[in-house]
Amino acid sequence: MAIKYTAKVIEHFKSPHNIGIIENADASATEGSPACGDEITVYLKIDKATDRIEDVKFQSYGCASNIATGSIITDLAKGKTIDEAEAITWKQAADELGGLPPVKMHCSVLAVDGLRSAILKYKKEVKGIDYDSTLDVKTVTEELKHVLWPPVGVDIITLQMVKYIGIDQGAVKVEVSINADDKFLDPTVDEIIEHVSKIKGVKSVGVENV
Amino acid sequence: MIYLDNFRSTMVAPEVWEAMHTAAIDKYAVPAAFTQCGTGAAELIERAQNRLAAAIGASQNEIVFTGSATEAINIALLGSARAQAIDKPEIVTSEIEYPATLAVYKALEKEGYTAHYIKVDGEGRYDLDQLSSVLNEHTAMVSLMGVNHMIGTIEPLARAGDVIADASQRAGRKIPYHVDFASALQTQRLDVDAVRADLVSFSSNKIHGPKGVGALYVRKGTRMRPITFGAESYSPLVPGTPNTMGIAGFDKAVELLYATFDRDVEHMRSLVQRLATGIQTHIPHILLNGPEGAERAASHLCYSFLFIEGEAIMMFLDMDEIIVDTGSACAAATLKPNYILIAIGRNHEQAHGSIRFTLSRYSTEADVDTALAKLVPIVERLRAQSTIRPPAE
Repeated sequence: MAIKYTAKVIEHFKSPHNIGIIENADASATEGSPACGDEITVYLKIDKATDRIEDVKFQSYGCASNIATGSIITDLAKGKTIDEAEAITWKQAADELGGLPPVKMHCSVLAVDGLRSAILKYKKEVKGIDYDSTLDVKTVTEELKHVLWPPVGVDIITLQMVKYIGIDQGAVKVEVSINADDKFLDPTVDEIIEHVSKIKGVKSVGVENV
Repeated sequence: MIYLDNFRSTMVAPEVWEAMHTAAIDKYAVPAAFTQCGTGAAELIERAQNRLAAAIGASQNEIVFTGSATEAINIALLGSARAQAIDKPEIVTSEIEYPATLAVYKALEKEGYTAHYIKVDGEGRYDLDQLSSVLNEHTAMVSLMGVNHMIGTIEPLARAGDVIADASQRAGRKIPYHVDFASALQTQRLDVDAVRADLVSFSSNKIHGPKGVGALYVRKGTRMRPITFGAESYSPLVPGTPNTMGIAGFDKAVELLYATFDRDVEHMRSLVQRLATGIQTHIPHILLNGPEGAERAASHLCYSFLFIEGEAIMMFLDMDEIIVDTGSACAAATLKPNYILIAIGRNHEQAHGSIRFTLSRYSTEADVDTALAKLVPIVERLRAQSTIRPPAE
């Protein structure tokens, strides 16, 4: 099966918008994808009176879809309020690009995560709002919606691949159901660990394939 | 287009295409005795067997033609393993073999074979001490390769053959030794007796022959069991109607290969040197994957460009109609970094920025110069926009 990028992806890869660094940014955040080792950093310049994103830039250590999704997500965020920008989904980013190959969908998640992390940092550091997310099954479930199953580019919660989430004093146990031979088993387990580890209060993550 | 991905596949040589055309129009009968056209097809296959056999020090009936090197590897490994009755059988190969070999070994493991995967050093050379240590009376098979496709390492096949011969003596029986020569044929000469190989796999499309053809050398006396069954034409190992058109093409490709072999190898070596010097001169923060100089296949170059990702480099080059390959996880269907780069000690990030350039006898100085001229600004540009900064000079 041919894995092909849309013309829009190629266009944004070739000439990415908003590439670079903002000196004295109001917030910046780096997110990495354990699935293939890519990384993105998003910088924000925000009008503190209106909470509107005046400027946004990004850098990418990644492939064509990583660069293209960084380009499109910063386009989408520019001029929006931080709350509006926070609501941008990875699905929107992928749709704006005319779609991504399923195996590359996680790149759009990465770009959106980068933007959201930068916004949350701004909220915490500048606005003093801290989303003290409690560690519960719901939070873990929400986070696992950012882990995509590469063959189809759909998250593992929607695909009902997660069979159990257990939390015991900061130790999170996730049980998934993936064929033991599947070539995507290892990268997906790594990605689950990476995502769940980010949640505040998590001390350890155990993934078991059942 | 500047095609620098010849280890994946090559252009069909015009003379090869001509030979295939002739075979398709004139030699389309099923090879058989008695009829003129049947005899003509049979002679075509014999000629091809003879030519390849002569090149590697074998005889005609030790060569069969397969549908690919992958099929040759399957016939060799499964056919030989299943022909032996060994208690608690063990099979031996390395960590850096071609995917077909590793896939057959995985399949045999499921059938109850115990597999050993020997390690390699930082430049991809087999650990022959480890090879020697794992061979014993249970060993049913050893499979190694002539040239590693990802890092260009020329492997010590003859020394491995000596190790296997010693172990065979200790075991009191011949341990079959299979050599995957698919990536080596373009630049390495082979003498099956010097290497002491029992089985050798070849690919047509790596030497400007057509896709869909491979060959297998089976040393006389090697016990084999067919893995596919059907009407026998010239060998029970490859039943069914032979692909005479493909075999005619492969035969012509072998003829052309050896007609100008030494000159072509020197030509490719000097172009690779030119490209390597250019890259080293103009691009800092690089790592050569695989050995330097004479221990490396003459047409092969593979660098990791640090702080950037290989698929992005590959795609930018592709837009300039320069075709290369990468071992980046991003470009792999499995999202895993190339296992060979990991086996030689590269970390995930170093594998991430790897680009493989593989030349052919048709490559020119202008190809190499253009590729370099395009590559330099691509690397600079991707580094400028990367989250990872080179350390301050």
